Amino acid sequence: MSDAYALFLGCTIPLKFPHFEKAFREISALLDITYKEMEGASCCPDPVATQSLNVDTWLTLAARNLAIAEKMDLDIMTVCSGCYETLKTTRVLLEEDKDAFGRVNSVLNQINYKYKGTSDVFHFVELFVQDEMLEKIREKIVTPLDNLNIAAHYGCHLIRPSNILQFDDPERPESMDKILNILGANTVAFASKLECCGYCARLNEDIGFKLVEEKMIDLTRLDNEVDVMVAVCPACVSQYDRKERLLQRNTEEDLNIPILYLPELMALAFGVDQTKLDLSRRSVKPKKLLEKLKI
Amino acid sequence: MTEEKAQKIVKASELDHDLRYKISEQVGAKTLLKCIQCGVCSSGCTVSEFIDLQPHRVVASLLLGLKDVILSSNAIWTCSLCHRCTERCPKGVDYSFILALIRNLAVEEGNAPKEYTDTIKTIYENGFVVPYTEGMKKTIDRRRESFELPEIVSPNLDEIRFIIKNTKLGNLIENENNDKKEDK
Ligand code: SF4
Ligand code: SF4
Repeated sequence: MSDAYALFLGCTIPLKFPHFEKAFREISALLDITYKEMEGASCCPDPVATQSLNVDTWLTLAARNLAIAEKMDLDIMTVCSGCYETLKTTRVLLEEDKDAFGRVNSVLNQINYKYKGTSDVFHFVELFVQDEMLEKIREKIVTPLDNLNIAAHYGCHLIRPSNILQFDDPERPESMDKILNILGANTVAFASKLECCGYCARLNEDIGFKLVEEKMIDLTRLDNEVDVMVAVCPACVSQYDRKERLLQRNTEEDLNIPILYLPELMALAFGVDQTKLDLSRRSVKPKKLLEKLKI
Repeated sequence: MTEEKAQKIVKASELDHDLRYKISEQVGAKTLLKCIQCGVCSSGCTVSEFIDLQPHRVVASLLLGLKDVILSSNAIWTCSLCHRCTERCPKGVDYSFILALIRNLAVEEGNAPKEYTDTIKTIYENGFVVPYTEGMKKTIDRRRESFELPEIVSPNLDEIRFIIKNTKLGNLIENENNDKKEDK
């Protein structure tokens, strides 16, 4: 991994959830992560609609973004698993398939871009879980998360398909747990840990409702009360946050487990002033969690 | 229903024998022909109970050339992109991606879901999947300012539009523009 990155924000975080971006920038500053803004980058583009409509459109828009990072001579750092999947998959597919590589470049050349395949793509979790970074994280802790039970939601596009993403173990991932454990938290084991949030099944909302409900029920049945679930993708966070609330209306169970974007929780552990983070901007408020942390 | 399907006799002349190659020749789909019909993709599928044709059956239909069976199945549009099928396939078939190639085929035949065409139109108009023009832009910029976040530098929209038009999706956008004109 390199010393500096081209920061690829995508659309969802900067335009819909700027408070997540804030948390990410706050912790990056504390951890001395150096990045440059990717001016002129577009939507990654999204791995659901654009890819479904035309794979070439998807690859070419993605390659344009990759080419911007190449011009900066930097590897890309993503803050969203959807962007991570799109950009990394494009990189791998265009390396494997010379025809597609040529097709993409023949379009890009006409708008004065050239895709070479020289910039790699990382999700911030990949960076944070490096040994020296874990050490740095440990050094920055102001409020240890010692008394918290946390459920790590990896989400799909961080770890699968592993032959493309080549990161964590797809059936037994541990990167997020490692980061949470360094912060002092206890991470819980649960049956539905690797289940999908259902956000990408956009044409049938029932799928998302079923998946969110299953995971929440699973979490409420554990011996330890789960204080918070943590995810690393804005789609997963918003999916659980919104659907938990809607499901709550029709059940006796208490399904309201707050869900935080990992950098938000890290920011709390690092003592970042929580008023900067606007943690109340969600349906399931992490009120109890803040009380427990005495923040 | 299942019985009815099983009994339907398909004549050899109705099969699209090139379908398997049409897909396998494309980017990311080379391993399609190696499928051994083990059913692993279906056994772990997140949306199994929501689809009328299980993943391994979609692959079998693809290999047989049963194009209409595939294109009329809800399986091609019902996928959570969890990638477990691809992850676990013993023969390296990237089913979740092949499904996208099949959706591309359906789109070519004029069957693009409105939700998806709306998304590409938003990208065409904003460069982003979230509307970022006029009033929306002002609201977003104000919010970002309150967090002291840097200003967003939008992509050059001519470039984004050029790419969309030159990768065969121009017609989806044009239809929309025509619709708009007609509305007025
Ligand atoms: S898991 Fe792979 S080999 Fe087995 S049926 Fe599915 S696509 Fe075919
Ligand atoms: S990616 Fe789609 S088809 Fe494959 S297992 Fe997941 S939901 Fe099923």
